[in-house]
Amino acid sequence: MRNTKVIAAGAAAVLSLTLAACGGDSGGEGGSGSGSEAAGYPEASEDLDWTIAFGPGGGNDIMARTIVDILEKNDLYPGNIVVQNREGGSGATGWGYLYSQAGEGYGISTTSGSFITTPLQADTGWQPSDFTPVGLMATDDAVFLVPGSSPVKTWDQWVETAKSERLVVGGIGTVNVDFIVSAMLADQAGYEVEYVPFNEEGQLITSLLSGAVDAIVSNPAEILGQVEAGELTPLLTTADERIDALPDTPTDQELGFEGIPSMPRGMILPPDAPEEAQTWWIDTMTQVVETPEWREYIEGNYLTEDIRWGEEFAAYLQETQSQFEEILTEAGAL
Amino acid sequence: MDVFNDLGQGIAALLTVQNILLLGAGVMIGMVVGVMPGLGPSAGLAILLPLTFSLDPTGAIIMLAAVYYGAMYGGTITSVLINTPGESATVASTFDGYPLAKQGRAGPALVMAAVASFIAGTLGAVLISIAAPAMASVAASFGPPELFLIVILGLLTLIVIVGKNRLLGAVSALIGFGLATVGIDIGGGQQRYTFGSTELINGIDFIPVAIGLFGVGEVLHTLWVGGHLEKLAYFSVKARAKGFWPTRKDFRESNGSMLRGSLLGFAVGTAPGAGATVASLMSYNLEKSLSKTPEKFGKGAMPGLAGPEAANNAASTGALVPLLTLGIPGSASTAVLIGGFLMWGLQPGPLLMEQNPEFAWGLIASMYLGNVMLLIVNIFFIPVFASIARVPFSFLAPMILVVCILGTFTVNGSIIEVGIMLACGVLGFFMRRYGMSPAALVIALVLGPLGEETLRQTLLISDGSFGIFLERTTSVVLLAIMAFMISVPWLVPAAKAGVRRLTGRGGNGPGGGTSGTTATTGTAGATGAAGATAGTPGAAADTSADTSARSSSR
Repeated sequence: MRNTKVIAAGAAAVLSLTLAACGGDSGGEGGSGSGSEAAGYPEASEDLDWTIAFGPGGGNDIMARTIVDILEKNDLYPGNIVVQNREGGSGATGWGYLYSQAGEGYGISTTSGSFITTPLQADTGWQPSDFTPVGLMATDDAVFLVPGSSPVKTWDQWVETAKSERLVVGGIGTVNVDFIVSAMLADQAGYEVEYVPFNEEGQLITSLLSGAVDAIVSNPAEILGQVEAGELTPLLTTADERIDALPDTPTDQELGFEGIPSMPRGMILPPDAPEEAQTWWIDTMTQVVETPEWREYIEGNYLTEDIRWGEEFAAYLQETQSQFEEILTEAGAL
Repeated sequence: MDVFNDLGQGIAALLTVQNILLLGAGVMIGMVVGVMPGLGPSAGLAILLPLTFSLDPTGAIIMLAAVYYGAMYGGTITSVLINTPGESATVASTFDGYPLAKQGRAGPALVMAAVASFIAGTLGAVLISIAAPAMASVAASFGPPELFLIVILGLLTLIVIVGKNRLLGAVSALIGFGLATVGIDIGGGQQRYTFGSTELINGIDFIPVAIGLFGVGEVLHTLWVGGHLEKLAYFSVKARAKGFWPTRKDFRESNGSMLRGSLLGFAVGTAPGAGATVASLMSYNLEKSLSKTPEKFGKGAMPGLAGPEAANNAASTGALVPLLTLGIPGSASTAVLIGGFLMWGLQPGPLLMEQNPEFAWGLIASMYLGNVMLLIVNIFFIPVFASIARVPFSFLAPMILVVCILGTFTVNGSIIEVGIMLACGVLGFFMRRYGMSPAALVIALVLGPLGEETLRQTLLISDGSFGIFLERTTSVVLLAIMAFMISVPWLVPAAKAGVRRLTGRGGNGPGGGTSGTTATTGTAGATGAAGATAGTPGAAADTSADTSARSSSR
C-alpha cells in the first residue's frame, strides 16, 4: 500500500512538471467527468476503464494487454486498470462504449483497421475524428504472397501474369485493409483481379496452399513460418522500410506505389477528454514505447514502429479514412 | 517406433509435481468455465491465456490443454443435464444425452461421455503421432470448395434429426438459415436485416439462440407439462451405486461408435473451420444409420451420445494437425493457441515441429495428459454434477433460468443478446409444442453462414462455375463420401439381407450378445440396473470378472 502511495506521489510530481510545461492552459478545462481533475490526473482512486473492442486473442487484444502489462510492471498508472473485452459489430460496440464516456478522462481504448472502416460501412454514430487522440504507436504491415510452388517469384512476374489471366486474391474481410491493399495495387499497376473475402486467417492460408486462390494479402506474424519453410513466396510488403524478417522482399514504395495503407495500431481517449489526461497519456506512452517489453512485443509480432502523437495521429486517421472511403466507393463496396 | 519414443519422452518429461498440479487445476477451471452455458473451450483458453504468460511455455501449454478438455467436457455436462449445449460442438450430445438424464441415467451418460472422450483422445494422440505428416498434405488441400462440401456433409444430419417430421423439420431449418443471414454479408460487405443496429452487425450468434431454444425452451416446456409437480423417482447418483456406471450393454453398444467417432472426428478435425461441430453431427448421423435400433435414437440411445462425444474430442486433436504441421489454426481454440505461441516467442509454421520438436511433442503429450486427468477428475466429480438431475424441477427451473441469463450475458456483456436468448426460449417452447425441431434450427444457424461463405468464395474463384467441385481431387473424394453417407441407410439393410440369404439364417451376432439384449429402457435408474443384470448371463468370462469386481466394490 505504501508503495502505491509513493508511486502516486511520484506520478503527481511528474504530472505537475508536465502541467507546468504546458503553460497552465488547462486551467479552463472542466469536463463533465469526476469533477476532481483540478487535483491532477490521474487520481489513484479512479479505476481506468480499458475497453478492448474485440474478442480475446486477436491482434488488438494482445496489444492492449501488453500495454496494460507494461503500465503495471513499471507502476506507471497509479490506480486500478479494469480491462474489458467489448466485442461486436467489428468494433462498433466497444468504441461506441468509449464514445458514450465523452468528457471523461478515465476511459481508454486501442485502435485497429476497423476503427476506420467500420464507421464507413455502418451507422455507428461515431467517427474516428470524434475521439481524443493519444497516438499511433505502430503499424501492422500487409504482405502480398503467392504459393511457393507458383512459377511467379517476383512482383513483376505477378503483374505480367495478372494482365494475361484471370487471377484471384484472398484477404480478410470485405471492407477492410486487405481489400484496399489489393485494390490499390491492382489499380496502380494496371491489372484487374478478383478479390475473395475470408473470415479466418487459417482458411485464407489453406486456400492459397490448396491452390484455390492465386495470392493472398496477410500480415507478417501470420505468414513468416510459411515463408521460412518455402511454402509461400512474399512478393511485396506495405512497410515503409524492408521488414527485418523479410529482407529480400521489396516495399511498395520501392516498386513505385504510393499511399498504400497499413493497419494502424494506436490509442484513443473518449471524445473531449480533459487535455491534462491527453497530455498525461502521451507522456506515459512515450515512456512505454521505450521499454524492453514493448520492443519485444513489436519484434515478436513483426510490427513496424510508427510513432505519431496527438494531433499528428488525428491527421493521420483523417487522411487514411478519406483515402479508404474513396477507394471503397470506387470499388462499389460502400 | 520413433514417434512413440518421442511421445513417450514427451509425456515422461511432463510428469513433474508442478505440472500435475497445473493439469488438475486446469481441468477443474475448464469444467467450471465450460459448465457456464455460452462459455466454451475457446473462451476458456482466451480468458486464461494471459495468466499463463508468467509460466514457462511447457507449463503454460499443459495448463491450457487441461483447460481445453475441461471446458469441452463442461459443455457436455450441461448438454446432458439441462439440455443446453455450451458450444456448437456439443449440440449433438443433447440428442440422446438429455433423454438419458431424464430416464435417471445421467450418471451412466456422463461416465460414457468421459470414457468416449478419453478413448478419442488416446486414439487421437496415436493418430497424430503416426499420421501428422501425411495428414498435413490433406489439411493443406482444403480450400473453399472442400469446406463447402464438408458443411453439406454436416447438414445431411438434418435429414436424420428431422426424421419423419419432414415439413416441420424443414421449416425449423429454414428459420435457422433465415436467422443466419442477419449481419454483414461476407461476400459483398452489405448489411442484411440489421435495421441500423450496431449490435446486429456481426449477426445473430449461435450461443444466445442455442441457450434459449434448448435451455429456456426446455424449462418452459417442462413447466407446461407439469414437470414441477411431479415427484422424482428416487435413484442414487453415488459412484458406488449400481445405476451410476454404464452397464456392459452400454459399452457393448458404444464400442464401435466410439471407435468410428474417433476416426471420423480426427479426419474431419483436420479441416479448418467447423471441424468439431460437423464431426459430431456426422458421427450421430452415421451411428443412427448403422444402428440396429435406429428408433431408439433421440430417446436415449447410448451410441448416440458416445459417437458424437468421441468425434468432437478427436476433432480437437485433429485440429492440432494443421497447427503443428502447417502453422494454421484449424479451429477457434487453436487460433487462440497461435496467439500464445507468438507471445512465448515461438514461430508457428511448417517448421515448428522441426525447430522445436520438444515443444510440439510436449503439446501433443499435454493434450493427452489433459485427457487422462479429465477422466480421473471426473470419476470424482460426476456424482456431484449428476446429483443435479435429482433436484426437484421446481427448484431447478429458476436456477437454470438464472444460469442461462448469466451465461449469455458473460460472453459479450450484451443485454440485447440476453433478449435474443429469452425470445428464443419462447420460440423453443412453441417449437417443441408443435413438434418442430430446435436442433435443426441450431444446426442450420451454425452451418448456414459457413456454407454461404464458402459457396460464395468458391463461385468467386471459379467465376460462377460449379465444375470446380469436380476439378479438385479432395472435392471429388468428399463427393464420394457424401454419396456413401446418403446411401448407407439403404446399403446396410441390403447388405444384411444379402448375408442372411447366403448363410440361410438370422443375422444374430456371435454369443447372442449384440442383438439379444433388448433390455427395457426404463424411466428410473432401478430399471437401468435391472437391464444390466438381465444382460449379463450370455456374456463371456472376461467381462463377468469385471462385474464381480464391480459388485465387490459395493
